[in-house]
Amino acid sequence: MIDSYDWAGGREAMMRFGPDAGPVVVAALPLFEEANRTRSFVVTILRLLAARGIAGALPDLPGQGESLVPTHRTSLLKLQDAFNFACDRFDREGRPCYALALRSGALLDVLAPVAGRWHFAPILGEKLLRELKRTALAADPQRKDLDSLIFGGDSPIEIAGNLVSPALLGELAIARPAPNARIVRLATDTADAALKVEGSPLWRRAEPDNDPALATLLADDIAAWIRACAS
Amino acid sequence: MQPDGSLQVENTVRAVLRDVLGLSAERVAEFREDTPLFGALPELDSLAVAGVLTELEDRLGILIEDDEVDGEMLESFGALTRFAAAKALG
Repeated sequence: MIDSYDWAGGREAMMRFGPDAGPVVVAALPLFEEANRTRSFVVTILRLLAARGIAGALPDLPGQGESLVPTHRTSLLKLQDAFNFACDRFDREGRPCYALALRSGALLDVLAPVAGRWHFAPILGEKLLRELKRTALAADPQRKDLDSLIFGGDSPIEIAGNLVSPALLGELAIARPAPNARIVRLATDTADAALKVEGSPLWRRAEPDNDPALATLLADDIAAWIRACAS
Repeated sequence: MQPDGSLQVENTVRAVLRDVLGLSAERVAEFREDTPLFGALPELDSLAVAGVLTELEDRLGILIEDDEVDGEMLESFGALTRFAAAKALG
């Protein structure tokens, strides 16, 4: 079902799944292009959770999806603020909220009113910034001075077809995920995790893809984790 | 865990090309030392190169500086594997 939520900057759409009572898993997609590459995978996980009796929500955040906010007018603070409002709506109904985040989405739930955070392949803002610079350089090898663009100006910067505000890039330089999340990573990732799973990094694919087997494995882990958090 | 041998690095490079470019396991299994990459694989455009390098960093625990990236290291499967092995194995 397509629902909506209000935040300080306006109204955004929110997809909802599963029952109207009990805990709600609120999902945060990665920033920028990776959001498009992982959207159907995250929707699959939320549908699988719904089939396990756990509600889910996927809010469009300002500058993402169907949002009317232009991509270069969003900031990390606005994205976090909107995510908080999306969670708050369920929190006020007395329903416990859990954050589900992929990759840089893990930077968005830091201040959210949630009972727990579950992060798949989370990254530091600094790492995302490095990847964005590499992508911008790959698209235009003549472009040499990205650091001065980010830290020296106000004009939006185009990175692989998206206009991004220098302020957002500056925020990313110091953004970190909340320290107390359950972390799950792909077996191929060398970083630490509570659980490692087999699968391929869908967020790297130029063409959006899905992995129902991996989604099932992750939905099972999230469902078990919520039961453990609640007990 | 860091790969401790050149065969492991070669397998990692193969898996990264498969996962990032969406190639089949059969196709990457056929890659040889002289199999041409950049300019020969339509899936490997300049944006995909960025994804391949970043994924190699994550899986091998290495850091690749942008000024180390040139046409030569992406010329063939062998050249990319040698570059990755030099980084990962020192």
